[in-house]
Amino acid sequence: MSNAYIDEFPAEARIVRAAFYSSFLALALGGVFGIIQTLHRTDFLRFMDSVDYYTVLTAHGVFLVISFTIFFLVGIFTWAITTSLDRGLEDIRFSWGWYSLMAVGITLTGVAILAGFTDATDISASVLFTFYAPLQAHPMFYLGLVLFVVGTWLAGADWFRSWLAWKAENPDERIPLPTFMVLTTMLMWYIATLGVAVAILAFLLPWSLGWIDTVNPLLTRTLFWFFGHPVVYFWLMPAYMMWYVMLPKISGGKLFSDPLARVVFVLFLVLSVPTGIHHQYLDPGIAEGFKFIAMTNTMFLLLPSLLTAFTVVASMEHGARQRGGEGYLGWLKALPWRDPVFTGMALAGLMFAAAGFSGMINAGMNINYLVHNTFWVVGHFHLTVGTAVALTFMAVTYWFLPQVTGRALWNRSVALGQVVLWFIGMTFMSNAMHRGGLLGIPRRTAEPQYEGFEFEAAVGSVAELDAQIALGGVLLTLSLVLFFANVIGTALNGKSDSLPANGYAETLSGPEDAPLVLDNLKLWTAIAVVLVIFAYTFPLLSIIERGGLFGPEVIPFPLTLESVTTVGIALETAATETVDGATLALVGVIR
Amino acid sequence: MNIHTYEKLWLVAAMLLIVTFIATITYGSVGLGIAMVGDQQPTVEPTELSDDERFGDPRVEQVGENEYEAYVVAQTFRYQPDPIEVPEDSQVTFYVTARDVIHSFSIVGTNVNTMAIPGEIAEMTVEFDEVGEYGVVCNEYCGPGHHDMEGELHVVPAEEFDLVDHSVDTPTEVEPDDEAEFTVEVRNRQLDDLETTVVLEVGDETFEEELVVAGGETAETTIVVDTADLGEGDHDWTITVDEFEEAGTLSVVDPDAEDDDGGDDDE
Repeated sequence: MSNAYIDEFPAEARIVRAAFYSSFLALALGGVFGIIQTLHRTDFLRFMDSVDYYTVLTAHGVFLVISFTIFFLVGIFTWAITTSLDRGLEDIRFSWGWYSLMAVGITLTGVAILAGFTDATDISASVLFTFYAPLQAHPMFYLGLVLFVVGTWLAGADWFRSWLAWKAENPDERIPLPTFMVLTTMLMWYIATLGVAVAILAFLLPWSLGWIDTVNPLLTRTLFWFFGHPVVYFWLMPAYMMWYVMLPKISGGKLFSDPLARVVFVLFLVLSVPTGIHHQYLDPGIAEGFKFIAMTNTMFLLLPSLLTAFTVVASMEHGARQRGGEGYLGWLKALPWRDPVFTGMALAGLMFAAAGFSGMINAGMNINYLVHNTFWVVGHFHLTVGTAVALTFMAVTYWFLPQVTGRALWNRSVALGQVVLWFIGMTFMSNAMHRGGLLGIPRRTAEPQYEGFEFEAAVGSVAELDAQIALGGVLLTLSLVLFFANVIGTALNGKSDSLPANGYAETLSGPEDAPLVLDNLKLWTAIAVVLVIFAYTFPLLSIIERGGLFGPEVIPFPLTLESVTTVGIALETAATETVDGATLALVGVIR
Repeated sequence: MNIHTYEKLWLVAAMLLIVTFIATITYGSVGLGIAMVGDQQPTVEPTELSDDERFGDPRVEQVGENEYEAYVVAQTFRYQPDPIEVPEDSQVTFYVTARDVIHSFSIVGTNVNTMAIPGEIAEMTVEFDEVGEYGVVCNEYCGPGHHDMEGELHVVPAEEFDLVDHSVDTPTEVEPDDEAEFTVEVRNRQLDDLETTVVLEVGDETFEEELVVAGGETAETTIVVDTADLGEGDHDWTITVDEFEEAGTLSVVDPDAEDDDGGDDDE
């Protein structure tokens, strides 16, 4: 009998497993669409019409950054809460409830997107991950997103409920670090999703149903970015959590500093949201001063990431020295490089350092003119969410899968090859994307080949960049195939009795060194809300004053809906019921 | 709180780095004068752009000695005007708006880059020091033809640049006793007055007419040709105004003669 997670928490392990498998399904779909668009865009293989490219792109974006990342993180957050509080979820039916809501939601959204491939229905949602109005998707797309997000809200409520119950029994104890990370991340998420909730519920959904005639494109866009930037931290913070609580353990040591880990997560809670306008540096209708404020906040967000770099590397060094590593850099050799969990996370961290530098360029307000909406940006986020997050998630999967299935990992060597292959593939792809962006090659286009002019490369050529991107894409696809081989192979393995025990890293400097105020979640939430009010009240008021709450007359594009009254009523009922359900659940939690 | 010495040093270095970044950006804004697209401009009605004073007729206009204004409309899936022509050594203020969905106006290989949002006008002042041809791309997804949305911007030598448009209104067929009216309209989008001569050659005759067009104005002149002098038949004509030239044929036809040919009219 082993002490794996599934042995301690069999019911919770089923939830985590379901979340993981949902996440992997999205990863598979997203990966397929990824390679299709890579080969299409670089003109190595074009078997579809370029019009369909945008449907592929929407699917790639939404499946990967919404379903893959978020399903995975609800899995590890559930693990983190139950493991660190050492108690099961309060009501497993409620947990299946939020999981199901998320699954139903993303299915609706996914169907709306994929229906764009066929003319058999007038349903389509080729509006990309950002769904900027006046581009309009089928209502099912927006409704699905609402249900999915409400699902995550309820998941957060579930974890808060666990924590409150634990706190009642342990009134004088510090919040365990993994729980602290989950709670601060979720508080950030609650604030962040308000933006997209208002954008969809007040404007885009009623507009797509024909209940209101117009929307203010700048307003819905600004509300999107209110959510759209912090969502990247929603993907990133679970990866950070893994670097803090798993990487030191896998390295053979302890976390360098618990207090600073708390400081980092508090900084993310406080600073993640009031930065969204940095995605709108080049938007007319928003004053330069507001952009400057967003820039400053964004720059200060470097702080938690730089602190993380220090703590993570220091923890790795500690681990290496425990394993007999010596010298200034010689300790690097003592790290467990043959362990895919370690190597995957370490390579992901390395890529994130590179991503940090391209991110500083993006954040540099007036420097942003050069790279805004170019391929550079795509290179940037394939390093952040595409590697720092995705590779970390895939690497820790090799630790988590045995924990939640009770079966040994199918093949560690394949796993090691997989994470290294991802790193190499992404090196080719993202460096070429960055360079292409500097030439002015735009992002989000099916055919970056124009009639009137050519992109001029100072070094190399556009053909060479395309070749690197295509090669990178192929390597990444191979890496995914190896990943799924392991997931499926493990699922088919027999039950194992010799799994490593569930647990996470201990700390060198523990919570006793952290000032109590760090655990004051109310205080940090209040500060976060105040900063959001400072950063957003005036820009939003100004946008509404200029363009009106519902904007000027704009024509929805494409014209998807003419007669949807029946569908509309059905959807309305479903939406109302969901919201009622959510409210009831929240009321239950608060009680 | 117990913080390791190295970590304190790192913290200080990190803060310094951040402050340095903010300082460089601020220097770019204040010292180098790289202004952000902002909210200086009023809003417009995207569906009524054709009635708008500036965007009804997307164009480049001279507003100062080396200063120009360009009114650009982005729409699925093209730009107006296209190509945009500006002279070298000029300072051009672009006013960009969108007619339908969100686009961008991005001059490839430069840092001229702005979003074009329906209802909003982006204002951006750019200096063009050298002659050259640039591509303009839309880098915001705007629909199924997004990848076809491109334009051109030509920076031309000062001596080849002008902002004068000509249009002519000429008859194609007149009766022998009638007068043929050749109207030439000259639109001067420069700041200075334009003094020019309109030359009409028709048949063997040549007419000249002096024309002065005030800066920013449009003027027209009409040359009246007595067809009796030309006689019946087809007459080639050419209108020349500075570099501008347009040619055509005027037919002087007697309708009665035509009737005789037709033969089936009942008189």
